Amino acid sequence: MSIVETSADDAKNDATGRFHPNLLGRRTPIAIISAIATTVPAIAVIAVLLVLLSKALPAIKYNGVHFLTSTAWNPGNFYANPVVTNGVEHPILAKYGVWPLLAGTLESSIIALIFALPLSVGAAFIVAKKLPPRLRSIASTFLELLAGIPSVIFGLWGALTLGPILSKHIYPFFAHHAPNIIFFRLFRGNTGNGEGLLTSALVLGIMVIPIIASTTRDLITAVPRLTEEGAAALGFTEWEITRKVTFPWISAGVIGATVLGFARALGETMAVAMVSGAVLGTVPHTIYSTYSTIAAAIVTQLDSALTDATGLAVETLAEAALILMAVTLLANVAARYLVKRVSSTSLPIGKGL
Amino acid sequence: MLHDTPSFDGDVKKLDEGSLTQSENAVLSVRHLEIGFHAKKVIRDINLDMPRGHVVALIGPTGSGKTTFLRSVNRLNDKISGFWTKGSISLQGEELLSKDTDLLELRRKVGMLFQRPNPFPMSIKENVLAGVKAHRLAPKSQHDEIVRENLEKVGLWKAVQDRLNDSPFRLSGGQQQLLCLARSLAVQPEVLLLDEPTSALDPISVEAVENLLRKLVPEITFIVVTHSLAQARRISDHTMFFYDGKLMESGETENIFTDPQMPETQYYISGRMG
Repeated sequence: MSIVETSADDAKNDATGRFHPNLLGRRTPIAIISAIATTVPAIAVIAVLLVLLSKALPAIKYNGVHFLTSTAWNPGNFYANPVVTNGVEHPILAKYGVWPLLAGTLESSIIALIFALPLSVGAAFIVAKKLPPRLRSIASTFLELLAGIPSVIFGLWGALTLGPILSKHIYPFFAHHAPNIIFFRLFRGNTGNGEGLLTSALVLGIMVIPIIASTTRDLITAVPRLTEEGAAALGFTEWEITRKVTFPWISAGVIGATVLGFARALGETMAVAMVSGAVLGTVPHTIYSTYSTIAAAIVTQLDSALTDATGLAVETLAEAALILMAVTLLANVAARYLVKRVSSTSLPIGKGL
Repeated sequence: MLHDTPSFDGDVKKLDEGSLTQSENAVLSVRHLEIGFHAKKVIRDINLDMPRGHVVALIGPTGSGKTTFLRSVNRLNDKISGFWTKGSISLQGEELLSKDTDLLELRRKVGMLFQRPNPFPMSIKENVLAGVKAHRLAPKSQHDEIVRENLEKVGLWKAVQDRLNDSPFRLSGGQQQLLCLARSLAVQPEVLLLDEPTSALDPISVEAVENLLRKLVPEITFIVVTHSLAQARRISDHTMFFYDGKLMESGETENIFTDPQMPETQYYISGRMG
């Protein structure tokens, strides 16, 4: 309140008497801090976009629109004399396409969510509703600890333990028994050594669980007790209370949490780089295929890209980064739209999912 | 209204072992009821008969056990840790406190209205139908009629007939509470428990709810916990005074307020306690 009042005092009125809040005219420290706090995030987002864009500009010129659809990833010959095309200096035969990386990024994140969402929501309901208070706090602590584990450790575990176990004992079963029809065909084929799309998506899923689960747990505990009791008092079964009252109440929030998790999975770098098989230039064609994502490719390719004397390799990585950022922003916008639709009128109400 | 139940002996305190047979006109009979949480006893040996088709007010200071008793009638306390009961509550001769009691059916017969409106996160129409659907009381073809009938009953039809598919959270607090009442009425309960149903409402909504209760007896028996003595006096036929987990005094409302027998009752209704 005091911020508003102070700014009103200090605000300058022009001849028309209209209220002109003047950022610099506010004198209280809180007003200054809040002005900085509100502008810094906006400036940061715009600055990152601008820097990426300026770095990527030569690559955008050279790679053209084909960058989005091409599956090639060939840095060209660094030792031959550079050539100039479209005014951009580049190693001879250089050709880049982000499509395999983009597809890998989206596929691994979507598969991760398919695993993580039901597990997270289930875990949240059990923690919030079923566990006795003492167990609840223990389970919550572990859930939050899970969120704090460095991603490189998940990556190591995925590469050394989970991948080999799955590829030895689980994947062959699916590969042998999956029918050779659409969708299930994706489960057939060479299961490899455990590095690939499904393993890294599972690792991603585990990393995303604490994000969705802890938010959902908080949402569940925030549902008014009186509303759930009202449903019980009307003769609802426990399942009906969950399905018709609790879940619709929290669905908008769960969507928000899911997108947070999705954004985390899109941008996750280290764990994927370690478990994906780091293959550039091919779109995964089965669920076990080795592949790479934009984020993982940037971290695995940066070293060699820096040896490109023309700079095109690094500029191409910047272009890929720009696309990753665009996808993440798009996911957030889509989430906002979904949340709005589910909670029409900004109240905890909707027709459910 | 007060005199069509001559057989009801208002002064249930005088019930002794010999006379503990089911009173014919009682919808709810309570015998030697004790309720507690862990080692704490909240209700001590209560015996009473609730007359059918009346408004019964439960009054008493905070912590006297009124609400605990009320929530035991539809077994809403069951989930609270350490909750226990002894003795018996029966609805038309059927024991409610037994392990075998069908809780869903009990809650169909015994509805409840809470301190604050608690509409469900679904449309106005779906709110009214929530219980009807849960208990499969009527085929789909009758749903529209049920919605209309119950909203009309609570006087909300005109206000919401054009926005039945809208969110109930846009209604005023009073309208929301009337909607919750319509939702309870739609499953055709025999008893409706009201836990300070108007404490969160504005005076006009309070009046609307109170008038409704008077209109809806004698088809439904209302048991109202209230902290407003004026409200108890306005709406109830019978009043029961709870004090320290005991039913101190009970009888026709007018008698309780004009001629209380126990000193605690006198003290409470004169506003010197609670």
